[in-house]
Amino acid sequence: MVRRLTTGLAMPLGSVLLAFVLGGLIVAATGGNPFSAYAALVCGGFGIGCAGGENPGLQISNTIVFVIPLITAGIAVALPFRAGLFNIGAEGQLLAGSIACTAIGIKFSSLPSPILLPMVLVGGMVGGALWAGVAGVLKATIGAHEVVTTIMMNYIAQWFLRYLIVGGPLQLAPGTSKSSPIGAGARLATLLPNDNSLIILGLPSSVFRVHTGLLIALAAAAGFAFLLWRTSLGYEIRAVGQSQKAARYAGISVRRTIIVTMLIAGGFAGLAGAIEIAGVDHNLTDKYFSDTTGFDAIAVALLGLGSAVGIVLAAILFGALHAGGSVMQADAGISGNLVFILQALILFSIAANFVGAIRQRIPGLGRPTALPPDLPPAAPMMTEAAAPPTEA
Amino acid sequence: MNEQAGLAVEMRGITKQFPGVLANNEVDFSVRRGEIHALVGENGAGKSTLMNILYGLVHPDSGEILINGKTVQIAGPRDAIGLGIGMVHQHFMLIPVFSVGENIMLGREPATGPDFYDRARARKAIAELTKRYGLALDPDARMGDLPVGLQQRAEIVKVLYRGADILILDEPTGVLTPQESKDLFAVLRDLVKGGKTIIFISHKLKEVLEISDRITVMRRGKVVGHLITKDTNEEEIATLMVGRAVLLRVDKSPAKPGGVALAVENLTANSDQSVPALKGASFELRYGEILGIAGVEGNGQSELMEVLAGTRRATGGQVLLAGRDITTMDANTERDAGVAFIPEDRRGTGLVLSFSIAENSILGRERTPTFSWRHFVLNLIAIRNWALKLVKEFDIRTPSIEVAVRNLSGGNQQKVIVAREIGTNPKVLLAAQPTRGVDIGAIEFIHRQIVRERDNGAAVLLVSAELDEVRSLSDRVAVMYEGRIVSIEPPDTPEERLGLLMTGGGSSPSMGRRPAGPEGLEA
Repeated sequence: MVRRLTTGLAMPLGSVLLAFVLGGLIVAATGGNPFSAYAALVCGGFGIGCAGGENPGLQISNTIVFVIPLITAGIAVALPFRAGLFNIGAEGQLLAGSIACTAIGIKFSSLPSPILLPMVLVGGMVGGALWAGVAGVLKATIGAHEVVTTIMMNYIAQWFLRYLIVGGPLQLAPGTSKSSPIGAGARLATLLPNDNSLIILGLPSSVFRVHTGLLIALAAAAGFAFLLWRTSLGYEIRAVGQSQKAARYAGISVRRTIIVTMLIAGGFAGLAGAIEIAGVDHNLTDKYFSDTTGFDAIAVALLGLGSAVGIVLAAILFGALHAGGSVMQADAGISGNLVFILQALILFSIAANFVGAIRQRIPGLGRPTALPPDLPPAAPMMTEAAAPPTEA
Repeated sequence: MNEQAGLAVEMRGITKQFPGVLANNEVDFSVRRGEIHALVGENGAGKSTLMNILYGLVHPDSGEILINGKTVQIAGPRDAIGLGIGMVHQHFMLIPVFSVGENIMLGREPATGPDFYDRARARKAIAELTKRYGLALDPDARMGDLPVGLQQRAEIVKVLYRGADILILDEPTGVLTPQESKDLFAVLRDLVKGGKTIIFISHKLKEVLEISDRITVMRRGKVVGHLITKDTNEEEIATLMVGRAVLLRVDKSPAKPGGVALAVENLTANSDQSVPALKGASFELRYGEILGIAGVEGNGQSELMEVLAGTRRATGGQVLLAGRDITTMDANTERDAGVAFIPEDRRGTGLVLSFSIAENSILGRERTPTFSWRHFVLNLIAIRNWALKLVKEFDIRTPSIEVAVRNLSGGNQQKVIVAREIGTNPKVLLAAQPTRGVDIGAIEFIHRQIVRERDNGAAVLLVSAELDEVRSLSDRVAVMYEGRIVSIEPPDTPEERLGLLMTGGGSSPSMGRRPAGPEGLEA
């Protein structure tokens, strides 16, 4: 059991380590000091060992704010993965969720929080679900590849958002590129009291932006794990992902499962978008033009190996990288863009399975964790697709 | 060294350890020049590993290999081919859209210029080979259009073209019809006459006795017997293979057929390629009997089973289950109605390989009240108890029910399916190729389970490519040809007559209908 756990963790941990080593080399090659760069990154991400007078609590709070949408959006990628679908469209679904949340939050801004807050969150989920549902229905009915359709839906969401707040119905005032704010009842409370007189870790408690969306994200992760492993639907999703044929022969509707999976995944992504509006921004702004949460979510889902706990851990890492980037720039004088290079290197090394390749080459480390893929479906000409040799 | 002069292959003390499995344990194996040597053993006995070592695909931990009396190092298939060793794999390594000639030349194309396939020279080279060994083949035919038997022949010619003197054939008859097997054996005999040496891997004992000169039996990575074919018999080989006495014949009492369970009337359906495969099949299946369907593969048996199981749509006709029309029911509803289905492709359609035994044991039943609360939350305790019960009752050899079925042997995988389907006491059991690729011990067990179901009153419809299996297990034999049931015969009908009916010949008095015109085999 322990052995399985360690070999299972070797891939993501090794990938991260490898990315940091390569990133360090890049820093060194460009004349920087990798150690001070990483020290600043750790400070910025986790508030540990800060040399530049940063407030550790504030850094952690900032990290958590980044982590929250990464968890739910990560689930939006991981769930379809389990069904054998590659949802590249978490970003578009997230934006759809943000738009729905904002529209409802403005339209019904006078409603009290117990009514309006659930409305905007559910509205965001429905928005995301519908956005993903388009790809799901197209996949299930005419076989359109979900990678292509979800990417296209990303563009549509991005430009639709731009239209809405630049000259469109949600624009606050001519010349601005933002919407009016959502009603007070549509906002997620901060975790700490919004009180300037209360001093926490030397700062007024109102500056800590960490909000109750954290609890929603953690609940979403728990719900995701429950759905996947404890429900009939989760079972069917995994069966379809592992063998559509076997699922079909068992009487599981592959089409329905694909559509339902995409709807649920879109709901999670939409929830991420709604939480961002309700918990952080309170209105749509041009920040969303260049939002990458839904794309980072792909890396989070991969690094987290598609499991709930893994997604939370990977989201923490990516959130810390985001939050740490600015501190690294300020303290160590290293461009914050190194963070994006690190993210790319992590993803790259997962995708290329460098760790597996290295483990294979070095004797004594045993065989790579990833089992060799099952024999591909036999050539279509073969009348029998029976067992490949079971020996060895 | 004189003694070795007559040996084409000698492997001494071969040991190969895989993680968790000692695949070959001090194996000594030798083959005389010019003989057909059978290598037999159950799945997982180490036959394939040993042959993969000889062919250079696997490197032994220790031991030495002598070819024609000389110690050799085989680092890869290239070395093996250079030493005159050729292998015909169980799963053909052919490119369906290439012509026969192109496939045979693949990697060694005769070229007049760079990247140019010289059709004339290729044709000449193939013609020479096919003439010398009596292997009729059209070099211009598209490989994918050929029946399996001819595809295999092309594989053999390919190996010969590369200059092989020692041919390894891995389960060559697994995909062949009885007639194709006979043709193959004739070819093998001719090859031996022409000076070739053949290693024949199989677990079909009848064939081994028919074709081989000597036999090496393996069990659990070790050689447990060297036999001379003419001095041995099926029982002795089977006992060596399994390690205990096994019952080769099915032990069953006469059937006590009851009322009609399934009434199939003029059923039609298309194949995956959307061409008619089932062209009006009619028959009745009764409770308490096993109706076996004999036929050359590809005559509509697979489609028939899938339509009956609800995984393929019928294009016409009717299926009544105890009088109730189930023609258009889907797989789920049919299962609820009491129809269980053992699909023919165990790994492709019967199991989700990465799922555990427990998970596979409820495949398709994950929303039933037994295993779920309100069709939504899985009842893990009920699933666990169910899986444990199946493992115990059906003798599934596994360390735990959490093991992924991928890691089970073929026989145990099949037992998981059989257990899942029989375990719910179905009214009708559809068993398609229930023992294909399964070792003897498991075959014996699965046959007993099927007979037990019959004795419990279930109606069993059996499809098998093994005529022996159909004859020994069935109470009645329905012969299928070109999408129709052409005749229903008693199980003791001579093999020759069944073979004739299966290929469209012979009269069919019981049905009074002759098969359709000479359309030939559908690709």
